[in-house]
Amino acid sequence: MVITNQCRVSIESLINKMFEMKRSGCGSPEHEIHRRLFLQGSMASASASVASFSGLFSIPAFAESVQKSAKKCILLWLCGAPSQFETWDPKAGTETGGPFGAIPTQIPGVHVSSLMPKCASIMEKLAVIRSMNTEPSEHFQGIDALTRGDTPRPPFTRPILGSVIAQQLGQLDSPVPQFVLLDPCPEGNEFKSFKAGNWAGWLGAEYGPIRAGGDYSIPNLERLDSISDIDHQDREALRKFLSRKYENDQRSESAASFNAAFQRVNGLMSCAPLFDLSQLPEADRDRYGRGAFAQHALQARHLIENGSTFVMVANGMPWDNHVFQHEMHQMLVPELDNVFYQLVSDLEERGMLDDTLVIAMGEFGRTPWLNDARGRDHYPNAWSLAMAGGGIRGGVVHGSTDALGIEVSEGRVDQRNLFATIFSALGIDPYQEYELPGLPTFHRVEGKAAPIKELLV
Amino acid sequence: MNYMNQEKLEPKRIKELKVSSGVLSAAISPDEKRVVSAAMDGVYLTEIETGESVKLYSHESYASSVEWVSENVLVSAGYDGRIIWFDVANQSEIRNEKAHQFWSWDLAVSADRARLASVTGQYLAGGYKYEPASETEPSLRIYDVSTGSLLHDLPHVPSVQAVTISPDGKRVAAGNLMGEVRVYDLDSGALTHQWTTNDFTSWGIIKSHSYLGGIFAIRFAPDGESVLLAGMGPMRDPMAGNGKQLWQKWSLESEKPILLDQTHDGESGEGLMEALAVDPALPFFVMGGRLRGGDWNAAFFDLNSGNRLHTLKTGFRITDVRFYEQGRRILIAGATGQGKPKDEGAFDPFGRLEIYETFAGSNV
Repeated sequence: MVITNQCRVSIESLINKMFEMKRSGCGSPEHEIHRRLFLQGSMASASASVASFSGLFSIPAFAESVQKSAKKCILLWLCGAPSQFETWDPKAGTETGGPFGAIPTQIPGVHVSSLMPKCASIMEKLAVIRSMNTEPSEHFQGIDALTRGDTPRPPFTRPILGSVIAQQLGQLDSPVPQFVLLDPCPEGNEFKSFKAGNWAGWLGAEYGPIRAGGDYSIPNLERLDSISDIDHQDREALRKFLSRKYENDQRSESAASFNAAFQRVNGLMSCAPLFDLSQLPEADRDRYGRGAFAQHALQARHLIENGSTFVMVANGMPWDNHVFQHEMHQMLVPELDNVFYQLVSDLEERGMLDDTLVIAMGEFGRTPWLNDARGRDHYPNAWSLAMAGGGIRGGVVHGSTDALGIEVSEGRVDQRNLFATIFSALGIDPYQEYELPGLPTFHRVEGKAAPIKELLV
Repeated sequence: MNYMNQEKLEPKRIKELKVSSGVLSAAISPDEKRVVSAAMDGVYLTEIETGESVKLYSHESYASSVEWVSENVLVSAGYDGRIIWFDVANQSEIRNEKAHQFWSWDLAVSADRARLASVTGQYLAGGYKYEPASETEPSLRIYDVSTGSLLHDLPHVPSVQAVTISPDGKRVAAGNLMGEVRVYDLDSGALTHQWTTNDFTSWGIIKSHSYLGGIFAIRFAPDGESVLLAGMGPMRDPMAGNGKQLWQKWSLESEKPILLDQTHDGESGEGLMEALAVDPALPFFVMGGRLRGGDWNAAFFDLNSGNRLHTLKTGFRITDVRFYEQGRRILIAGATGQGKPKDEGAFDPFGRLEIYETFAGSNV
C-alpha cells in the first residue's frame, strides 16, 4: 500500500478526534473501543479508502505497481495433516519410511519423497522446516493453533492468519475480497466445525474470509437483466446512504456489520469473473491438474494477481489417512507436488514471487509407525512444512529429525516461531500489542517467540 | 451347516507365526511345510513347524504379492513395480522384470503355473471431483512364467488393485478403485466382460472428494463362470474405513454380467475386506480384512446360498487368505499395528501368519 507520511499524520489526527468523540458517547461496552485497536482498524480502512479498487486501479500503471509491491500470501492448507515421511522428510529404507523412496533435490545432500520430483527440481526456491514440534494432537485444536498461531486464550478469539494478513496488508474497501477461502467440501468433520467458528476473532467479521469453491460457488452474483447499471448504482447509493445514517444515528454495530456485508456483496458482484474457473485458460487448468485442489490453487494465483491479499486453498480433510496412508498419499502428494511447483514457477515468472508467500502445511504430522489399517495417525512431535517467496529465503532446510523421524533432533520450531517467521517475512510486526477491555495485553505472537532467522531474506 | 461326510465347519487355529514386518500376501509351499510371505521389508520364508523365519530378498519397496510356481521357485511382485523369480533351494534370483512404472498392487498365477498376471496404476486426479485420470501405462500385464516373456498388455482404469485367473486358465479378471471389473480371454487378450459395481465405491463426501474404496480382492468360483469381489460398502467416513464388509458374486454366463448375490443383511460388520479364497474341494469361500465395527474380520460363506457359515476374529488385519491344496486348512496372513519402537529403537514383529483346521469340530 502506498501512503505518504503526511497523509498518515492527517489521517491519524482525524482518527484521534473521532476517538475522542467516541469516548464521549453513551459509554456502553459496545462502544468501549480501545484506542490502539481502534486506530489499527481505522488506519486500515482509511488507507484502504485512499487506494480503493475503482480509484487507483483504474490507472493501469499504478494498479500494476500496487499489485506488485504489496505482500500477499497463498496458504495451501493441507487439512487432515499430511505425512512428513511421504513429503519433506523421507526416511526411505528405514522401518518408518514407508514404501516410497527418497530423491535428491537441487540442494546437495537434501532429499525429498520420490512423490515430489517437481518440488525437488525447484528446491533452491523453497524453504522447508523439518522440525515442527507442536502440542495439539487432535484436528480441531491443531487447526486452531496452526491457523491462528497459538492455542486459545479465552474469552477472546485470536484471528486466523488470513484475517491478520488481510487486515494488515489488505485493502478493506477493495471490491476484490482480501481474504478468500477456496474449499469445495461442504463437510469435513473437525474442519467443518472449525469453519463454522469465528475466523477473524477480535479483528471483527469484516476480516473474515469470503468462501468459494465447488458446492460453495458464490450464487446470485449476476445483476438482474431487468436492472440497468445506472439503476443498480443508484439503488446501492440510496441503500448506502440510508444504512450509514441509521448506523451513525443508532450507533449500531449490527447495522455496521450489515453494511460491511452489503459492501462485500456489492464488491463481489463486480469481481464475480474472478471466481469463475471456466474463465481461466484451459492450458493453465491442465497444467495445474484437474482436481479441485489444483484448480483452486490456480484460482488463488488469479485472485492474488487481481488484488486479493490472502487466499487459503483447502480441500476438505483428505490428508487424514488413518486408513491406507500410502494408498491415499500416492494420489495426494503428486497433486501437491505439481501445485506447489506451478504456483512458485508462475509467481516467479510474473515477478510476484518476492512479494507472495506460498505456504504448504497442515495442522500436524503423521506417526512414524503404522496402525493396523496401514494408516499413520496424528503426530505433532516432529513434522514438516514448506514455504516459498514473500520474504522467505529459498534453498534452506531448517531443523532435522532423528533417523526414524520420531523426535526433532535440531532446530525445534513451534507455532509461535512459525507465525513470527511468517509475519516477519511479510513485514508485519510479530509482537504488535492488542489491548482488549478488561483483559491482559495480547500480542500478535505471544512470548516474544523468535522467527527462524535463516529463513528470512 | 453340514458338508460332505457330515463334517462340521468349525475352524480352529493350530499355528501362530510372526514375521518382522506387515505381511501383504502369503503362500503355502507345494510341500505344505513352508510359508512364503511378501512383507513390507522383504520376502520371508517361514518353516511352519518351527516358526523359524528367514528373509530371502527384498524389493526396492514393499513386497506386495507372492506365489509358488514350482517346488522351489517362487515369484513375487512389489511396490517397486518389479516381478522377481527366486529359487529358494539355491537362494538365488532367477529373473527380475520391471513390469510397471508404479506399484504392482496384486499378482496372480494360473493353476497350471504357466502364466502370471500383475496389475498396477497410480490414482491421479482426472477431474474436479477426483475422477481417476486415464492410465499412463498398461494396467494389466500377462507374462509367461517359465520364460518371463510378456504375453499381453491389457488396458484398465487405474488404480487396478486386484487380479485373478480362472481355475481353467482361460480368463483373467481385474478390479479397480472405481468398482470397475474387466475380464479378458487369457489366450487372445480379448475383452470379454466389463462392468462397474457402484456398491464398493464411495466418494469421500465428508472429509474430501478423494477416493478410497473399490475392489480389493477378486476370485473366480471353481466353475469359472462367476466371480467373487470383496471390499467395503459405502462409508460415512472414508478415513475411518467404516463401510460394510462386502462381497458380491457376479455371473459371467451372459455378455452382460449379472449380480447373483452379496453379503446378506445382518451378516456383516464394518471394515475393508481385502482377501478372498475359495475352497478347492468344498462349496464355500472365505473373506477377510479389517475389523472396524462388529465382531468378525474373517468369515466363511456358502458359495451357493451365500449364507454366512462361521466367523473369526483374528485380532489383526487380514491381507491374504489361502486354502491348502486339498482344502481342510487355511492360511491367514496380515499385520497388527506397527507399534512404537522399544528403547533400543527396534520394533516388535508385526506381521502375522495363522493356520486353521477348517473342520476341527466333532463329526455330526
